Amino acid sequence: MDADTALPSPAAKATTNEPLPPRRPFSLAARAALATGLVLAAFLGVVGLTLSRTNADNALKDQQERLENFVTAYLSGMEVVNRTGKVFLPDTPPDQAFSRPGSGLYAVVIGDNNLRLESPSAIGRDFGFLRQLQPGESEFGPVDTRMGRLYYYAYGVSWDLSDRKSIPLTVMVAQTEDVIEGQNAETRRSLVFWLSSLGVMLILLQLLLLRWSLTPLRKVATEMSRVERGHAEHLDNQYPLELTGLTERINAFIDSEREQRTRYRNTLADLAHSLKTPLAVIRSRLELAGENTPFRGDVLDQVRRMDELVAYQLARAATSGRQTFATTAVPFAEHAEDLVQSLEKVYAAKNVLCEFDIDEGAVFYGEQGDLLELMGNLLENAFKWARHRVLLVVRFEPQAGRQRPDLWLSVEDDGPGIDEDKVEKVLQRGVRGDERVQGHGIGLSIVQDIVRAYKGELTVDRSPEFGGARFAVRLPSG
Amino acid sequence: MRILLVEDEAPLRETLAARLKRDGFAVDAAQDGEEGMYLGREVPFDLAIIDLGLPKMSGMDLVRALREAGQRYPILILTARGSWQDKVEGLKHGADDYLVKPFHVEELLARINALVRRASGWSKPVLACGPIKLDTTAQTVSVEGKLVDLTSYEYKVLEYLMLHAGELVSKADLTEHIYQQDFDRDSNVLEVFIGRLRRKLDPEGTLKPIETVRGRGYRFAIPRSESDDE
Repeated sequence: MDADTALPSPAAKATTNEPLPPRRPFSLAARAALATGLVLAAFLGVVGLTLSRTNADNALKDQQERLENFVTAYLSGMEVVNRTGKVFLPDTPPDQAFSRPGSGLYAVVIGDNNLRLESPSAIGRDFGFLRQLQPGESEFGPVDTRMGRLYYYAYGVSWDLSDRKSIPLTVMVAQTEDVIEGQNAETRRSLVFWLSSLGVMLILLQLLLLRWSLTPLRKVATEMSRVERGHAEHLDNQYPLELTGLTERINAFIDSEREQRTRYRNTLADLAHSLKTPLAVIRSRLELAGENTPFRGDVLDQVRRMDELVAYQLARAATSGRQTFATTAVPFAEHAEDLVQSLEKVYAAKNVLCEFDIDEGAVFYGEQGDLLELMGNLLENAFKWARHRVLLVVRFEPQAGRQRPDLWLSVEDDGPGIDEDKVEKVLQRGVRGDERVQGHGIGLSIVQDIVRAYKGELTVDRSPEFGGARFAVRLPSG
Repeated sequence: MRILLVEDEAPLRETLAARLKRDGFAVDAAQDGEEGMYLGREVPFDLAIIDLGLPKMSGMDLVRALREAGQRYPILILTARGSWQDKVEGLKHGADDYLVKPFHVEELLARINALVRRASGWSKPVLACGPIKLDTTAQTVSVEGKLVDLTSYEYKVLEYLMLHAGELVSKADLTEHIYQQDFDRDSNVLEVFIGRLRRKLDPEGTLKPIETVRGRGYRFAIPRSESDDE
C-alpha cells in the first residue's frame, strides 16, 4: 500500500474511491411513518410525563392522608394516666405492620421530659429528625435517614389531663419510601405500557391508512406497465381527483406518441410512393426503348439501385422495433394464416403445402407491421424456393431465470437449401440468391433489420425435416 | 387477351399499355378508380392490373367492388409501398397476385401469362392438347414436336382457344378479347385467321383441332393433356 492511499480513516478512503450513487429519496410511506412517529413520540411523552407527575402528586397526597389517619387513630386509641401523666400507646395498632419490627411502618410519640414511645416496629430505630411540635402544628415530608427515605407525618397536640393541666405530645407516623415508590413505579409501568401500545397502534393505523391512500398510485404503476407491454391502450381506470391531472397527461402523451408515429409512417409511405412511380416510369420507358439507346444499361442499373435503396430505407424506417407505450400484443396465428393464404394464392401454380406449428397463445410484443414484414419475407422466401413443402414453427422457449419465455420462429422449406459457405452472402444486403425469381433481394435485409430492432437473433441452417433452408429467429421476451 | 389497366400515373400507364399492346394484348386503360370500375364492369376482361394508390377510389376498394360486382377475372395489384400489410389486404379482398413498384416489364408479362393460364385451369406454362403444344413462356407452338410458325395474332387466337379448350368460344368473345376497341368487328378477319391456323396446325386435315359451331362460334376440340415437361 503506498502513502497516498494509506489514509488514516477507512471511511474517508471509501468515499474518495467510489462516488456515492445518488440516494433515492425516502418513500412516501417512510416519510409519513417517520413524521407521525416523531409527533406521536413527543405527544405521548408529554402526556406520559404529565400523567406520571400528577400521579406522583396524588400518591404523595394519598400518603399524607394515610399517615394522618394513622396519627388520628393513634391519638384516639392512646391513653394517658391522669395522675402520673404516663402515656400508653393503644393496645391494638391501626395496622398490624406497626407491631412487626422492620415492617417499614413506624409510630413514635414524644413529649416533655424525654417522653418517648415507639410502636414495636420502631424499636431501636433512629428518628433523629423528629422534634417536639407546638400543639396544632403538623409536619409532613420525606426525610432521608439511615433507613433510607422516609415519609412522615408529625402532629403536635396538647393532651388535657383531669387537673386542668395538659401535656404536649407529638405523634409521628412514618413509612419507608419503598412502599410508595413501589406504587408509583407500578403506575408508571402501566402508564408506559398503555401509552406505548397506543403509539404502536396509532403508527400501524397510520401505515394502513397510508397504504389505502397510496393504492391509486400503485394502480397507475401497474397499469402503466400493462400499457408498456401492450396489454392495454390507455390508463383506463378511474382515479381520485388528485391523480387525474397526472393520468390524463400520461394518456395524452401516449396518444401523441402513437399519432406521431403513424404520421411519420404515412409520410414515409407517401415519399416512397412518389419516388417509386417515377422510377417505374423510367424503367419501363427504357425497357421499351431499343437496345442501342445511349446509356440504357447504365441508367437501368442506376434505377435498379435507387429502387432498392428506396425500398430498403423505407422498410428500415418503418421498422419501429419495440417501443415503449406503443407496443401491442400481436397474435401470431391469425397473421400467419393471412400471410400463408395470400402466398398460397400467389404461388398457386407451385402447389406448395404450408404447415404451421404455432404454440397456443404465442404473441409478438411489438408493431403488427413488423411482424407481418418479418413473417411475410421469410415465408415468401420459403415459398419461392420450396418444391412442395413449407413449415412455419412458432414456439415458446423458456429461459432460465426469466419470467417470460423467448419466442422461436422458424420457416423451413424442401428447396435446395443454402450451403454453409453461402449463408453470409445470402444475408448481405441486396444480394440476390437467384436472379430468375422476382424480388428485390431486400426481403432478408428487412428481416435482419427487424430482428436487430427487437434485439433478436437470426440463424440460417438446413431444415432437419425437409432438407431445404431453415431461417430461424429468436426473439427475446423484452 | 383483354386487359384492364388502372394506373393514375400517365407516363407509366402509357408505356405499359404500349408494351402490352406490342405483345398482342388488347388493353383498356383507366386513370382512376371510378373509370376502372366502369370499364371493369362493362367489358369482359381476361385480367386487370390495378395500382393500389388511385385517385377517386382506392385500388383496394376497386378490387373489392369488382369482386362484389361478380367479376371473376384475375387481378394483379401494383403497390409502391410493398408492405405485407398492403399485399395481404389486397389479396384478401380478391386480388390474385401483386407486384412491387418499380418492376421489370418482363416480370409483369410473366405474371400476366401465369394468371390467365391459372384462371382457365392450366397449372403449367405449356398448354398441351394431344400433339399440339403451346408454350406460353416462349410463345411458341409445336405439333408433334415440330415448331409451327405463327404470326402474333394467330398465336393469340390459338392461345385463347386453347386456354378455353373444350369450351365454346363465340366470335364476339374472340374479337373482344383479342382486338382493340377500334377494330372493325364486322370484317371477316377472324375467319381468315381461323382458316390459316387450321392449315398451319393440321395441313393433312387429320387432327381437326378447331371446330366450327355453326352460328355460335368455335371450339378447340382436342381434349387437354397436361404437359409433363416444363
